[in-house]
Amino acid sequence: MITFEHVSKVYPDGTHAVHDLTFGAPSGRLTVLVGPSGCGKTTSMRMINRLIDPTEGVVSLDGQDTRSVDAIDLRRKIGYVIQSAGLFPHRTVVDNVAALPRLLGVGKKEARARALELLAKVGLDERFALRYPYQLSGGQQQRVGVARALATDPPFLLMDEPFSAVDPVVRTQLQDSFLQLQRDIGKTIVMVTHDIDEALKLGDQVAVFREGGTLAQVASPAELLAHPADPFVADFVGASRGYRALGFVEATATVQLADEAMVRLGARPADLGEVDGGWCVVVDDAEAPLGWVDLRTAGDVVEERHIDFSGTVARADGSLRDLLDAALSSPTGRGLVAGPDGRLRGSVGAAEVLRHLGRGREAEVAS
Amino acid sequence: MTILDWFLDPAQWAGADSIPVQVGYHLLYSGTALLIALAIAVPLGVYIGYTGRGELLVAGVANALRALPTFGLLVLVVMLVAPHIGSRLAFVGPTIVVLVLLAAPPILSGTVAGIQGADPGAVGAARATGYTRPQILWHVQVPCALPLFLSGVRNATLQIVSTATVAAYVSLKGLGRYIIDGRASSDYTQMAAGAILVAVVALALELAFLGLERAVVSPGLTRAQLPILRRTSRVRPGVVPPASPREATP
Repeated sequence: MITFEHVSKVYPDGTHAVHDLTFGAPSGRLTVLVGPSGCGKTTSMRMINRLIDPTEGVVSLDGQDTRSVDAIDLRRKIGYVIQSAGLFPHRTVVDNVAALPRLLGVGKKEARARALELLAKVGLDERFALRYPYQLSGGQQQRVGVARALATDPPFLLMDEPFSAVDPVVRTQLQDSFLQLQRDIGKTIVMVTHDIDEALKLGDQVAVFREGGTLAQVASPAELLAHPADPFVADFVGASRGYRALGFVEATATVQLADEAMVRLGARPADLGEVDGGWCVVVDDAEAPLGWVDLRTAGDVVEERHIDFSGTVARADGSLRDLLDAALSSPTGRGLVAGPDGRLRGSVGAAEVLRHLGRGREAEVAS
Repeated sequence: MTILDWFLDPAQWAGADSIPVQVGYHLLYSGTALLIALAIAVPLGVYIGYTGRGELLVAGVANALRALPTFGLLVLVVMLVAPHIGSRLAFVGPTIVVLVLLAAPPILSGTVAGIQGADPGAVGAARATGYTRPQILWHVQVPCALPLFLSGVRNATLQIVSTATVAAYVSLKGLGRYIIDGRASSDYTQMAAGAILVAVVALALELAFLGLERAVVSPGLTRAQLPILRRTSRVRPGVVPPASPREATP
């Protein structure tokens, strides 16, 4: 647990970077600090490992006041990932990860072996281990940065806009793979970002800062979307928050799925007989849905060129947002739903998703 | 007598004033000056790069030193020193001093620039993960400074080697002898031979520095900071070296 108690930072010129900050980042959870630039989120994070010392108040780690610990010892307990990765350019990838353990007296062989394990954990192929940072892409460098931060297995992890220097596709990959890693390692993490989407996606808890270094609201992403504390938070969370909030409502077994006729790629639709509206789901050999085909316009054999790929496929255990998106993007208005094994379960219409949502709301009001 | 004849003359290759002896003296003066310059400029450069103190002073002094006329300075120092010292030291000392003044600025600025130019992200990451300041200096800044430092030393060495010819003007040995003596006796062959020898020594040292750079500078840095020295011989990931014609047609 990382706790801030009435923490303020005032610079000698009188600027209030952070004002009377009180909140806690729970153990094993990812807390995201988010806000517009100049709101003190980065300053707040840097006060945790004393890169910046607070003017007032107490920052403590698991109940221990950080000022009672030597700053160097403190930092060695806290992993740190910076925006541009900040790898050591003169060291190979594996030695970048092994650097801090080596500095602290771990043998070369042992440190490198552990480094290789970590690189595998962050999803970097072993063949990159002996390359130098300049030979990696930005996304790969950032993976190394995460592995390096975990090299000494610190209980805490600070991340300063870790995924903002890469393109959106790579960012999504890094976020997903980091979420998976965190499920595995369960570190106490404080992450800074200016991207509210990233905050809502990654955070177990989100702390929204406003200009002047004050805290506007600390809540779970779902809570933040459903009950923003004030107009600033509501505005910052964004205009499409109603739709986004669906991302935090899990689809349950009560969502009614309709059965759909399936046709395998390469099959003859003539064998199927009459199909409602002419549209039919094309599946592969494992019965995983590929898309839709309009049997009225398809030829004798269903080929890949006949398939309409526009619809997304939602997972039966996904969120209502995934289900609704599948329904909205489908050429038939019926969203494809697959089970955890990837096989087609059936389809769902937008009306059914909304009906399900309405029932959830009623239950919430009743309770 | 052509220059080639001059070089083939056995008399040039044996005895107290032979080519090997003059090259030896030339390298002795140059090497001594370089070592002294390193001993002064490196600690100073590391200190300035590390603390950020005295940067302006260094830039000013370094530029002023560069503007000093070597030859005039040498004569001046010899005239000031000679009356007080009887031995050959009256000439060796001033020569070394002048060469040191010439060599120190490039080494100093190379060192400062190298230390300060170390990737701020790498330095920041080291600091944030609990490196002490000396550890940051030694494990991050110094290795990252090597390319610029070495190029400063290389510049300094080449300047020393080409300027050490002035030693002959104050009656010392070295390759300058051929140039000064050749001029005195209007022996242009000898002068040209002397100039060629200086160039050959400079080239040999240049090659030695290339080797040194390959040996001590991390390949992770050379690509980023010294594109001229990019090692094409080393196999890069994804780059297949072209097969040599001999292998292709056995």
